[in-house]
Amino acid sequence: MYQAWNWILATAEPELISEEVAEESGGAALLLPAPEELIAGIIAFALIFIVVWKFALPAIKETLEARQAAIKGELNAAEQAKVDATSLLDDYKAQVAGAKQEAAKIVADAREAGEAVKADIVTRAEAEAEAIKVRAADEVVADRARVADELRRQVADLSIDVAQRVVASTIDADQQRELVDRYIDELGGVR
Amino acid sequence: MELILATAECDPAVDIICAPSNVNELFEFREAMFSIGGFPITRTVFLILMIAVIVSGLLFFGLRKKSVLPGKLQTMVEGLVSFVKEGIAIDIIGPEGAKYAPWLISVFLFALVGNLYEVTPGVNFPVTSRMALPVMLAAITWVVFVVAGIKRQGIGYFTGIIWPKSVPLALRPLVGLIEFVSTLFIRPLTLAVRLFANLVAGHLMLTLLLVSGWVFMSNAGNIGFKAGIGVAWFVMGLGIFVFEIVVIMLQAYIITLLSAVYVQTSLYPEH
Repeated sequence: MYQAWNWILATAEPELISEEVAEESGGAALLLPAPEELIAGIIAFALIFIVVWKFALPAIKETLEARQAAIKGELNAAEQAKVDATSLLDDYKAQVAGAKQEAAKIVADAREAGEAVKADIVTRAEAEAEAIKVRAADEVVADRARVADELRRQVADLSIDVAQRVVASTIDADQQRELVDRYIDELGGVR
Repeated sequence: MELILATAECDPAVDIICAPSNVNELFEFREAMFSIGGFPITRTVFLILMIAVIVSGLLFFGLRKKSVLPGKLQTMVEGLVSFVKEGIAIDIIGPEGAKYAPWLISVFLFALVGNLYEVTPGVNFPVTSRMALPVMLAAITWVVFVVAGIKRQGIGYFTGIIWPKSVPLALRPLVGLIEFVSTLFIRPLTLAVRLFANLVAGHLMLTLLLVSGWVFMSNAGNIGFKAGIGVAWFVMGLGIFVFEIVVIMLQAYIITLLSAVYVQTSLYPEH
């Protein structure tokens, strides 16, 4: 009660509390703000407030804005890079697709050309074979004719030879004629 | 510790410890170290003014570079400031809270550094345990929330407190009276006493445990194995030390948070 009274007194009129009372009042004196500490506190708080208000918050705002701009810039750059990469990829894909198509076309052309060459070779071979066959047949015919001619010539020569021999061995005409005929008949059998 | 022990007049040859005769001597350093133009610079006044130097220095060195990629100090300072701005001012008060951010940030940093003196080696004295500082912070809060209420609602701010429309008519006088006393008188008082009492208690506990621990141990020659008690006190003191660090941060946060809450209730009485 006494302490409370002291406190009230001190709040109302500080000079009412004598030095002695304050000394003896124990913990209650702690509840009285010391004037020099109050003044120092106000000065310190005011300084802090000014620094926070005029310097710290604007500085942080500026920094945050710069950071935001930097991040936005980075994001935009990344987005642009992504777009570029996508278009590049599309380009490459188109190129690869074109190349594939071209390769397929080349293979198809080559196959076609091959087929054509093959067909040509076969046709030509067939034609040649036919020609060879024909030629062979002609040759056979020609050979036969030639052999027949040769035979006829040899027969004639032989006939003449025979005739000479017969003549030499005195043969009569009948015998001679019979001989020639027989000979010719034999020749006809050869044919 | 020497500072505490030296506060009392005693004969070191006779007494084991120069115990202060009055608990106030753990808190009152009213002797001026020097004075500027008649204004006494006591140890406490010096420490209070140093708060401004420390906080300003921290803000200045932390934020002067404005790097897009912040260093450790810048990250910490930015974190502290935006913690109060976003986490308290805007979260509690709403979008308008940004306007009150400079004040709330100042309250937080001022109280935090003032509290941290308690566990700062070589200082070991929370200046916020001096009633002047909690009273000043509470008075500023009182002015801010009353002015905010008047600016928003005009005279309706006071009539809204005394004659609350949301309460049944029969209860209005009673609730109005309670609201009037609680809003305009109890709020600033509790705001100041909460900070003050927490820091006084913390300072007392640390002083008692660490000093008695030290006294027991340093007199091992006289009292023999009983000096072991001092070890227990000292270890307990260190445990409380950690606990006090939590209290220090919590109390700085609470006084800032409640200041914001009071402004919020002035701006939006319906909530």
